[in-house]
Formats: sequence, C-alpha cells, structure tokens
Amino acid sequence: MYGVQLDHLAAALGVSEARARAVAAGWRARRHAESARLGPGGSWTWLTRAGLAAAGLPYAPAPPALARLAHIRAVTAVRLALEAAPRYAAGGGYWRSERRLRSRMGGRVGLREHVPDAEVHWPDDAPVAWAGECWAIEAELTPKTASRTTAIMRELLTRTGDYGCLAAEVRVPGRPPRHARVIYLCAPAARATVARARAALGSAAARIEIRSLPPGAAMAAPSGPRAKRARRQAPPSASWRGAESQQKPAGDTR
Amino acid sequence: MTRRAAGRRPGLAVGRAAFLAARILAAAALVVAAAPASLVAGLGVAVAWRAGWPPGRLYRAALCSLPMLVVWLAATAAATRSASQVAEAPYLAWLAMWHRGAAGSYPAAAAVIAPAAIPAGLAAGGVCWAYRVRSMATGSGGLAPDSAAAFDRRQWRNQARSAQARIAAPGAVPLTTRNDDLAAGAVIRAVGHPARRIASIPYARMRSHQVVIGTSGTGKTTLLLRLWAGFMATALRRNAAGRGGPPLLVVLDCKGGADARRIADRVRRVLRVAGARSTAIWPDEAGLSLWALPPAQLITTLVDLIEHGTGSAAYYADVLEAVVGLAVEAPGGPPGSTADFLARLDSGWLTIAYASGHHDAELALVRSAARQIGDIALRFRTLFRRLGGGLDGPGRFGDSDAWYCILEGTAEISVAEAQARALVDLLASYAAYPPPGPGPSGGRREILLAVDEFSAVSRRLPVWQLYERARSLGLAVQISAQSWAGLAAGEDERYRIAASANGGVWLLRTPRPEPVAALAGTRQVTETTRRLLRAGVWAHQGTSRMRLDPVVDPALIRALDVGQAAYIYRGGVTYVQVKRLVAPPAALQARRVAPTRPAAGHMEARQPPPAPPAGQQPPPRPHPQPAPPDVGPLLDEAFGAEPSS
Repeated sequence: MYGVQLDHLAAALGVSEARARAVAAGWRARRHAESARLGPGGSWTWLTRAGLAAAGLPYAPAPPALARLAHIRAVTAVRLALEAAPRYAAGGGYWRSERRLRSRMGGRVGLREHVPDAEVHWPDDAPVAWAGECWAIEAELTPKTASRTTAIMRELLTRTGDYGCLAAEVRVPGRPPRHARVIYLCAPAARATVARARAALGSAAARIEIRSLPPGAAMAAPSGPRAKRARRQAPPSASWRGAESQQKPAGDTR
Repeated sequence: MTRRAAGRRPGLAVGRAAFLAARILAAAALVVAAAPASLVAGLGVAVAWRAGWPPGRLYRAALCSLPMLVVWLAATAAATRSASQVAEAPYLAWLAMWHRGAAGSYPAAAAVIAPAAIPAGLAAGGVCWAYRVRSMATGSGGLAPDSAAAFDRRQWRNQARSAQARIAAPGAVPLTTRNDDLAAGAVIRAVGHPARRIASIPYARMRSHQVVIGTSGTGKTTLLLRLWAGFMATALRRNAAGRGGPPLLVVLDCKGGADARRIADRVRRVLRVAGARSTAIWPDEAGLSLWALPPAQLITTLVDLIEHGTGSAAYYADVLEAVVGLAVEAPGGPPGSTADFLARLDSGWLTIAYASGHHDAELALVRSAARQIGDIALRFRTLFRRLGGGLDGPGRFGDSDAWYCILEGTAEISVAEAQARALVDLLASYAAYPPPGPGPSGGRREILLAVDEFSAVSRRLPVWQLYERARSLGLAVQISAQSWAGLAAGEDERYRIAASANGGVWLLRTPRPEPVAALAGTRQVTETTRRLLRAGVWAHQGTSRMRLDPVVDPALIRALDVGQAAYIYRGGVTYVQVKRLVAPPAALQARRVAPTRPAAGHMEARQPPPAPPAGQQPPPRPHPQPAPPDVGPLLDEAFGAEPSS
C-alpha cells in the first residue's frame, strides 16, 4: 500500500475518522508517517523511511503518486472489502500488495511485464475449497482496449514464476500456473471491456471473475464552484469520471 | 570440666533459645509492621522464583516504580509546602494505611501506601532473592545437602517455562531489533553474558564465522532459518540506509533428498517475508555456470573435482593438470560449457588449437601427454555425467538474493563433495571479483555461506582455508553439523573451525558437547566453608578458595529440549529458547495432485523418471486444469451479490 486516505485508515483501524486523524498525528509526531491533502476527500497518510523501517518493510519511501491516487484508493477499498468478508478471515487469506511485488522485483520490471494490483494467497490447509490457490487482483477504473486487457489476462493466467524470479522461470511450460484465477473489480465504465476481453479467452475464461468495485472505492468528487458547475453538466455516472481522470493510463503497466 | 561449668551449660542453652526466639519475634513484628512492603517483597520473590528471574530484574522493577514515589512526594510537597511534611509523608501514609485498614477500607488503604511500599518492597524482595540465590550458589542454603542442586534444576525449569511463554506472545520476539541486532529468541539463562529478556546478537557477528552443532530433531533448522532470515532482513535494511552492500545468502544443504526440498521451500517462504526478492534453488530450479570462473581458477577447480592421489599418483595429477590447462587456456579462449570442455580433451583438437606456430612448447606437451588424454577425457565425462547440469547453467550468484543449493550428500557422497567444491570456488570467485554496481559498495555484496550438514562434504571441502581468506572477501561462513565429529575429518581441523568461529558457537542437544563446551572456558567460583549468617554477613570461621568451573555445563547441553540452544561467545554462554519463524503459505504451489499408488513394487516407484539425453530438454507436460472451485460466496460477501444478467 503506497498510502491511505483518512476514511480508509479509519476503516482499517476500526475507529472513527477523528480517532484515525489522531492516530495519524501520533505517527507524524514520531516521524513515522506524513500526511497531506493530495486530492479531493480526506487527507492521505503514507509511511516515511523511519516508518517503513519500524514496520520492517523494505520499500523506498515516497508519497503516493498524484496520478495514481484514484487507483490506490480503489485497490485499498478492494482490500478492505475482502478482508472484512468472514470467509476471507476463515480461510486465512494473505494480501500481497503491488508494492511488495514491485519491491521483490527490485526495479527489474520489464517494459511489457504486467504486475497485478495485488495477489491473494490461500494457505494449503485453509478450510475453503480454494485452499492453496494464489489469485491476482485487478482493479479497473477505466477501460483499456479489449485486446490489451485480453493480453494482460493471458499473461496473468500463464505466468508460472514468482515476481522477482529468474527470467527463465517466469513462464515455464509444464509447470502449474501461478495464478489459479484473476479477480477483476471494475468500475461501471470498464466492465464491458473486461467482459469482452474475458470472452476472447476461450476455456481460460473460467478462471476470470468479474465484480463491481465495492462502495467507497471512488474518490470523493472535487469541491468548489468550478467542480459544482462541471457536476451539474455531467451525466449521472460522473462520480467515476473524477476518479478516472487521475488513474493510470491504459498503456501503463506499473 | 568443672562442676560449675557443667551446671552453667543448661542455663546457656536456655539463654540462646530465648535470644533466638526474641530475634524471630522481632523479625516477625518487623514484617507485620512493614506489611505492605513485606507483601510486595514476598510477591516479588515468588514471581522471581516462578519465572526464574535474576535478582537484577526485581531491582530494575523497583527503579521503574520510583517515579511513582517521586511524583507522590512532589504532590505532597506542593500541597503542604513543608519539607518536614514531605519527610514525614511515608510514616503518615503508613499510619493512614493502618487506620483505613482497621476501618475495613482495604482498597483505600492499599492506594495510600502503594507509592512508598511498591518500590521499597520490590527492592527488599530483590535483596531477599539475591540472598537466596547466593546462598544456594555457594551451597550454604537449603535444608538438605543436595538442596543447591535441586534448586538449580527447579530454576532451570522455571526459566525455560518463562522463556517459552515469552516467545509464545505474539510480537514479543521481533526478527531484528532497531539497532540492527538479530533476535533469536528468549533468554533462558545467561552465564558471563548480560541477562536480557530477548537473546539478540549484533549483525557484525553474522558477518563473522559461526558454528552450529546439534543432532537432528533438536531445532537446528529452525535456528538456522531464523539466523538466515535475520541476516537477510538486517542486511537489506542496512543496504537501504547506505550502510552496506546488498546481502547474498548461499546455503549448501549437504544432505539432499526430499527433506532438503521441503526445507528449501520453507527457506524461500521465510526469506521472502524477510525481504529477499528471489531465492534460487540449485540445481532443481536454477543453474550456475562453472565456466564463468577465471581461467586460472577454472583449471584449479577442474583438477580438484577429480579425485587424485599423492605419492606415485602425483605423476598422474601433474599430467591431469597439464592437460586441463591446455584445454582451458587454448588460444580460442576458455571453454563455455561442459560439452565444449569435453570436446577439447582430445589430442587432435589440442594439436589443431596450438598449431599456429607460436605454441611449440604446448604442442610438445600435447604430444607427450597424448596417451593419457583419452583417460582424462573419460574421467571428466563420467564426472560431469554424475554432476548433472547444475554447473552448466547460465546463472551467477548475483542473479538472486539467496541460493539454496541441494547436494545429494546422503545418496552420492563423492558427487556432493565435488559439487560443494565447485560451488565454493564459484562463490569465492564471485566474492573476489564482484561485478561493478551502483552505490558506495560498488557491487560488493555481504555474503553469508551456510554449509548445513557439513560432515557429508568435509573431506574435500577446505573450509578452513576459506575461513582464513573469507573476511577479506567480505564472506562469512556458517558451518553446521550434527556432532563435533561431523565438523571435519580430523581433530585438528575441527578445533581450527571451532576456534575460528568469531561470531560464536550455537550448541543444541548433542551427545558429546565436551570439546565445544571446553572452548567456552572456565569461570571462577568461590568454594567456602564459612557460614552465611544473614544477607551480606558471613561468619569469620572457615576458609574459602577459588575453583574453576566450566562456563558451559555439558550435562545441561545433553538435556536441552527441542528448540533450546546455547550460544557460546567470548567465554560466556546464553541459553536461548529459539522463536520459530512462521512463513506464509507457499505462493507457487498449485493444487496438489495426490500421488497415485504404483502398480509395481514401491522400490520401482521411488526411481526418478528417466533423464533426457544430454542437451535435450524434456518435453513439456500438459498441466491438468480441473474446473476451479466456486469462489462466488466469498466474492458476494466482499463485493456484494452480482445482479443476474
């Protein structure tokens, strides 16, 4: 997780927003975190170098990228929704974030290599039918082209190696695929494209699940007279457009 | 004896009894009068006994509760503005405590006296507990002559139980501490080392040589995993802070077999949590290239891979070295693969290679060794067939953060020895000539070479040579063995390895710990016939003398439980309850297919599938893909039910 907005922090901690603000202030006082209002909605909090060291996380400290705020928020909402599900807790699911995956790759991400937004790992002995599986999680806010989405789905479904593994192990014929399934969480605007891309996969489509993004995944609408004017002129689903304007571009494989 | 003296004796005895009774009564009265402090002291002693604490722990607790007393006195001073009132405050509180107690208001009575009674009681408890421990240590305490030994056994049990409880608490033992120390577990007991709650060793000791000895099933792998993960996490953190090069962990598992594969999987998962980006498992999943060695080193390594004798056999060794040298240093450059090298071991090939007219000496050498070249080629062909393709791969140690190398030391000792030799030479070469890299370390990595079950390859792996030049290469060596005898072939070499272990020796349960225990040295113990009258007061009758006791008790090592280890360093020992690392579930495993029972005998079923011919890849097997289980209920719970389309 690159950063978290105040309402999500409150949800993660299970406290009110006021209390979450106080907690974040405590972290700031110890120089473990930084907070700032980076976009519409509540303030964002992210870990500093000292905070990452205290948490034992080997990541490079950086504030969340402005262009990715909407996407980061959507992925955080997906994680919170998933972790709140009783079956997830019962199965002992383990969320492996994109940041962790990228950290393992150590800057060796190939230009066309796609890294999912997260992975969910299930222990072998979990009391669920999908025990032992590894899932890729994708949050889609805007539609890419169907062919590009199909290519990403194929890449995720055929990968055999862990992220950061030797290049020769990324895709080894005969080995079991790394991701047993890919879960797509889509905004309304992206859903049709993702569904078309899945249909193009053939038999592998059974391993793609498509769901809507959970409530609270969208960025709050910007305030101010200009934003109000824009909202009045916009169609009803414009709450997503605000998010879409800041998310990663279609060709971005980060 | 006079009649007068005889008549005086009963009177003396009665007088002594009366004096003793008066002393007991006075002591009891003092205990009752100081009831709150006595109660705290009694509780403190009971807890210290039960948890196996040293007296210092009670003193520290008393110190920690001092601020309460200071605040209370300050509040009294602020309220009364009188120094005499402050001086009288404890007495007045004591009086108030009795009054409120008499009135039946016990909580109020406790609250009134607590600021004064708790620090005083804890300090008094510390003194009493120190007296008890000291009297037992000198053998002057207890009712029976063997009370001291029984007390020590009970204390060990209490300390071990307390340490187990400490590591069971979630988050109580972090992998690393803030000042780059590696936490191994909870301290059970320390002799000559500071008695801390958490057993941690500085990172610098992981950069020195270490020895780990323990029979199988004693928790050796758990300890090693913890040390490796701690090394990886700390080194990565230091590297991120610009205080050292990136880490490289190389584990040589010299047992091999299915067990080694299981451990390799566990290591990979544990190291992943510690921050390692990738763990290569050799030779199952990754290969290393022997042919990346510099030519001179390659010749030495190739010659050492072939077992050759001394004495009259030295002639053959010389011919072997000359022919290998000719093949490696041929004008076209060193060989790039096993096939290339084997092709060069041919008198025709060598004659053509050196036929340019500038290599007359080499040509003469080829001619004189022509009769032996065929034999040498045959030996190398046999050797490389047995070694497999693991040393012919394209990889280098720098490709991964950690390498887990599985050597089949149980099944094929000679092959494991040759593999170990080649891998160590490759690593030494990598450490000596690191590839250029960014940052202040310039590509130089902080390397830890861990050789597990060293006995399997100790005959031909000159680790002590490596020991001596390892520090300058930035390479630390960690040797583990099941027993002292398993450390090396000869006694001299064993002592050499153990004595070079600047980073300390980890000793788990082993049947013969005496040689290692002796390395910890002795400590001075006072043996006395003087009587301990009361705390700190000894009778003047009797004598004392200094005795040297071993720091490490071999009997205690033999009785260590699973997960308990003794860490010997600089003449001291810390007994540790090792905290087990729990790795997240395997990431790459797909749903496992239950093994089918073979129709033929089970010995046939154990045979590995036939290897493909050299240079030919096995055909990819189609992976069965059963219908995936329905995850709809989980997704419905998390993201809401999907509207039916």
